[in-house]
Amino acid sequence: MQAEQEAPEPSEITEFRREARAWIQANHPGDPGFKLPQSFLEVESDQQFDYLRDWQRKAYEAGYLGLDWPVEYGGGGRPGLQRIVGQEMARANTPFFVNTIGLQWAGPTILHYGTEEQKQRMLKPLLSAEEIWCQGFSEPGAGSDLASVQTRAVPTDDGWLVSGHKVWTTIAHKAKWMILLARTDPDVNKYAGLSYFLMPMDVAGVTVQPLIKMSGEGGFNQVIFDEAPMPRDALLGELGQGWQVAMTTLMHERGAAEGSGGAEIGSAGEGVRRVAALAAQVQRDGRPASEDPVLRDRLAELWIREEALRLGSQRARMEGLCRERPLALRLMNKLVFSEFAQDLADLSCQLEGPAAQLWLGDANAPDRAEWPRAYMNSFGMTIGGGTSEIQRNILGERVLGLPKSK
Amino acid sequence: MTMQVPKLPRDFGFGEDHEVLRDSAQRFLAERCPLDEVRRLADDPLGYDPGLWKEIAGLGWTGLMVAEEHGGAGLGALHLALLLEEMGRVLLPSPFLAGALAGAALSAAGDVRWLPGLASGDLQATLAFAEPEGSWEPGDVAATAEPGKNGFVLRGAKAYVPAAASANLVVAPFREPDGAMALFAVELPAAGVVVEPETGVDPTRRSGRVLFDDARVGAEARLPGDGAAALAAAFRLGWTALAAEAVGAAESTLLLTRDYAVDRSQFGRQIGSFQAVKHPLVNVMIAVESARTLTYGAAAAIDHAEESSEIPARMAKAAASDAFHFAANRAVQFHGGYGFTIDCDVHHFFKRALWVRATLGDAIHHRRHLADALIDPS
Repeated sequence: MQAEQEAPEPSEITEFRREARAWIQANHPGDPGFKLPQSFLEVESDQQFDYLRDWQRKAYEAGYLGLDWPVEYGGGGRPGLQRIVGQEMARANTPFFVNTIGLQWAGPTILHYGTEEQKQRMLKPLLSAEEIWCQGFSEPGAGSDLASVQTRAVPTDDGWLVSGHKVWTTIAHKAKWMILLARTDPDVNKYAGLSYFLMPMDVAGVTVQPLIKMSGEGGFNQVIFDEAPMPRDALLGELGQGWQVAMTTLMHERGAAEGSGGAEIGSAGEGVRRVAALAAQVQRDGRPASEDPVLRDRLAELWIREEALRLGSQRARMEGLCRERPLALRLMNKLVFSEFAQDLADLSCQLEGPAAQLWLGDANAPDRAEWPRAYMNSFGMTIGGGTSEIQRNILGERVLGLPKSK
Repeated sequence: MTMQVPKLPRDFGFGEDHEVLRDSAQRFLAERCPLDEVRRLADDPLGYDPGLWKEIAGLGWTGLMVAEEHGGAGLGALHLALLLEEMGRVLLPSPFLAGALAGAALSAAGDVRWLPGLASGDLQATLAFAEPEGSWEPGDVAATAEPGKNGFVLRGAKAYVPAAASANLVVAPFREPDGAMALFAVELPAAGVVVEPETGVDPTRRSGRVLFDDARVGAEARLPGDGAAALAAAFRLGWTALAAEAVGAAESTLLLTRDYAVDRSQFGRQIGSFQAVKHPLVNVMIAVESARTLTYGAAAAIDHAEESSEIPARMAKAAASDAFHFAANRAVQFHGGYGFTIDCDVHHFFKRALWVRATLGDAIHHRRHLADALIDPS
């Protein structure tokens, strides 16, 4: 069942794929012997962080990160090849890259809007994981209504002073930089008053406080700014252009735009097959869960959804097969993938029958309680980066052409 | 069924010729088959327009997948899928699909005798893929073929045979005394063969029972080769073809509802601005786009890895049946009281959705077989 969708392809790509596969096989960091986070959203301990950062640095130094980006900024200058690496790494089940926010959200935005100096300064250490990035968009009072952010950036002689409160900030505790959306003009409409900054995190007036997720895991924070200074060249794009720049970031965050420095987000792979294997191992009502006709139907339904996602990312690159609504597949990717992943995790818990009540640390928990944990963590994807409800508004209005919800 | 998902070319094999076919079909069908025409043909005794059939044959569509040396265009399943998507978009009432399925069975069996007639449109063929008591699976055949003098005696009933009343060739599976399945092609009318029209839920889709009552046919009526394999191949194409037509029809259903949600106001607002309407319509769009992806994938699988196209074809039929039904269900609901009447065009789509779901297996059926492949691969 392993997806072999790549064939046939040009021979130089096949050659590159072969090299990448061999390198990954030889350099896969293996099981570290301690609990790893399920995604970049839950990186907590120094031990986890160091293991993951080493892996990213190693992949970058071997030439398998930033392939699509220009050579002068530390990239590989070979557009289109990052995807191949992503496919091979997914196949080999390698760890994720700890600087995902840098690779997928900040990096492409800097490439798009950055000055020459910003690109020279920021991108290489981002690729090597020497400098970790976090995202300062949401605030306690500005979640789905992102344009209502109240954090202020007040100009000074040589830059800005930032004051405000950002929340649900993944990996801020390890970050050197933040992509920051802040209000620079409170007197114009809420969209026009925003600007976008590359904010240093290691300055006075920045306090990072951990938030614990419902799974008990960390990696999540809130960040308080109290007149924290930023240099003048922290501004990305024009003054007052912040909303537009933020939308570019969100397009990347939602997997709706190409040009990421690392693996693609929302790429469906082998999930259902793994769960089908689990179903054969766990008992429900005195027989393997895989013999339950209702669960079999649910598994097949998810398999169809997974295959539609996998083939959909292939179809999205074929303009001629997306004529009805050219943007739909890209814009719906985050919504569809996150809901698929959530439903798969939910079904996996149900498959386990009574054992689904066991949690991390219990010796009898199936798959070391990976699935209840995955189910809880799946809400990070259906809420973060614009909730599923916001995604449906966007799709309804921008793709289907329905009138705006007031 | 193997668990293997087939290798597909990264571009699904889509090229300029596909684009040209789709665009010309879209223009032609929009002009020649507006909804007024669908309404008229729904009440027509024949159920389709013979003049339009001739035009379609003239365009080369009836011979689309027939090999060139037999008078066809020799094109692939993705061509057929794109064409059927356009036919579904306008709900074309036509025996076209029946002919395509019969042609697939004949081609798979390696019997070329009728292919020129199929390609030219002179012959209207159909595939009798189901029986009154039977299942949706190709192997489930009770009708029998017994060797007799100079040929065979055929006994049994076929049901839900598409375009049965207008067909002059029926391809049907029968079980031989050794238990093996063989395909037969019987020209109609024939002694001992009775065609009884059925009253279908969708008046733009005609069907009938074909009863073989000790029908004596010549030895040449039996198609060569492995009948079970040929029928299975025709089913894989059939699942994909029905999915393609359903995707086209579902697209129209979605657009009809979108337009209504933009035009119609209540409480001083366009109803499409309410999230109770907007979000389900987005869900319909996602279902339609996913089904479209899977349908193109299934067609590409048939074109490039026919032997392993069963899983993609079943996925396409399951997804498209459900997406179309979902689109039609929400279409009636969101058109409100008007949508519930015969004056609103939505009912044509709703009825087609019921027909699609009931033909060649619904989603529950295909998911059962997919689960077998996923969980207990043989």
